Amino acid sequence: MIKILAACGAGVNSSHQIKDALEKEMSNRGYNVKCDAVMVKDINEDMINRYDIFTPIAKTDLGFTPSIPVIDAGPILYRISAMAAPVYDKVEETIKEKGLK
Amino acid sequence: MQAIIDAANAVFKPVIGLGAPSIMLIVLTLLALLFRVKFTRALEGGIRLAIALTAIGDIINLLTSAYQKPLSDFVKSTGIHLSITDVGWAPLGTITWGSPYTLFFLLVMIILNVVMLVLNKTNTLDVDIFDIWHISFTALMAMYFGANLFVATILILYIGVLKIINSDLMKPTFNDLLDAPDENPMTTTHLNYMMNPIIMVFDKLFDKLFPWLDKYDFDSAELNKKIGFWGSHFAIGVYLGIFIGLLARQDVKTILTLSFTGGTCLELFSLIGSWFIAAVEPLSQGISDFATKRFKGRTFNIGLDWPFIAGRAEVWAAANVLAPIMLIEALVLPGNHIMPLGSIIAMGVTPALLVVTRGKIIRMIIIGAIEMPIFLWAGTLSAPFITGVAKTVGAFPAGVSSGTQIAEATKEGPIEQFLAYLVGKASQGEITFILYAALALIAYCLIFWWYAKQMKKRNAEYAAAKENN
Repeated sequence: MIKILAACGAGVNSSHQIKDALEKEMSNRGYNVKCDAVMVKDINEDMINRYDIFTPIAKTDLGFTPSIPVIDAGPILYRISAMAAPVYDKVEETIKEKGLK
Repeated sequence: MQAIIDAANAVFKPVIGLGAPSIMLIVLTLLALLFRVKFTRALEGGIRLAIALTAIGDIINLLTSAYQKPLSDFVKSTGIHLSITDVGWAPLGTITWGSPYTLFFLLVMIILNVVMLVLNKTNTLDVDIFDIWHISFTALMAMYFGANLFVATILILYIGVLKIINSDLMKPTFNDLLDAPDENPMTTTHLNYMMNPIIMVFDKLFDKLFPWLDKYDFDSAELNKKIGFWGSHFAIGVYLGIFIGLLARQDVKTILTLSFTGGTCLELFSLIGSWFIAAVEPLSQGISDFATKRFKGRTFNIGLDWPFIAGRAEVWAAANVLAPIMLIEALVLPGNHIMPLGSIIAMGVTPALLVVTRGKIIRMIIIGAIEMPIFLWAGTLSAPFITGVAKTVGAFPAGVSSGTQIAEATKEGPIEQFLAYLVGKASQGEITFILYAALALIAYCLIFWWYAKQMKKRNAEYAAAKENN
């Protein structure tokens, strides 16, 4: 299973939209993806190391450099499929590049 | 006429008798269908909302039942009247969405946004449907204090116009804060940014009197890293439970129970908050599809929920530092009756501080501390209204004593809550309140006008800097 970490302010709205959209689209593309949604401020190095990809809404200063690929998932929130598609493509590209399963 | 009324009663009375969760299930499903959402998705949203509403009532019950006696003992032992339980934003959001009026105010705000887009008065398409509850909250509060539906609607239209204009004004600052290009469409119409004008006044004072303080700005990300899990929901619940238990002179077992109950409730409020956001999701997508189809070919700014700037460490560093400051202020502030708990990490306060100060952390903390009483007073003022709505939608425990109240210590839009109170009272015809409400509405507009001028100057500087590069 491919594990993705989404994050936003309260860990309940924007990050959940990203989580739902990524799980749905990646499943349609044939990948077994599990995405968790958390508050930005709760992320630490231990937590992020348990995931394969980090998908914040925008540029995020965590106080450390994530060791996993970071993909800006903000465009998913625009609710316009043409704008969200490049995010899904980038996630898929990363999955393929890293050989994630 | 009587026949029509009888027929309406025959249809609606049994539905109303089913209770708020069932009513909202039906209403939300029908509204989503109206925006051409597939039936199964529409129904899913309706059921999720009914479940979220039921669950939030149960958690409020758990929290208020556990804290009712200790808070009363706290008052007796300290003489400090902090008897209102701060339940944070999630119960307030869910309760507000539990009112059918919220769907009416949602439609009003959609129409306002569309009209402003058509007239080119804004370039922001607001897709943050879920946060419409803040506006609905303001309108419902005005109605609670005496306004009729028409006056409440005019009030939110007045606030709504300024809120949408503000989203355009802030756009270049968001690009700056996110280090994003001009093509980035992210902005927000969130009500918390309507504190910007007041913060701007203090920021300008800082520019004149204390600019040297900026050199003491520290590394916010480093501070957040050090605070670690102590800033998380469950930890806050635990140590506030201990704090209240100790001051209320409870025994060890009660103190521990209070702290664990606090931690449980704060975690669950967030979890249930996500259920209710998922409930509104099909409707949000339906409305967005509807609007984008009708404005095909036009490039918009997109109005999102505020957290796209949550990646800025200053938002959390300021919230972490302000938490103990808020607690101390709450203890000594005359006229405050809220014990900060669920919203002690002031997410409703710090994003606006970030935007106006552009991340100057010392200013954020000092201005945040100065403006905190406005939030605490607004929370105290709104407690009877919130408790009343919670009871109406069946989200308030029946067994809790009648004097127990709930509110949010850092509810977004405190100024708008004062406006709602004044407009509500003025609607009852009392001349003093009519005068106060008129003055307050004029002052609200004037300070926004001044703030808009400052933001336009700032935006011109951004544009000039880009041209020079």
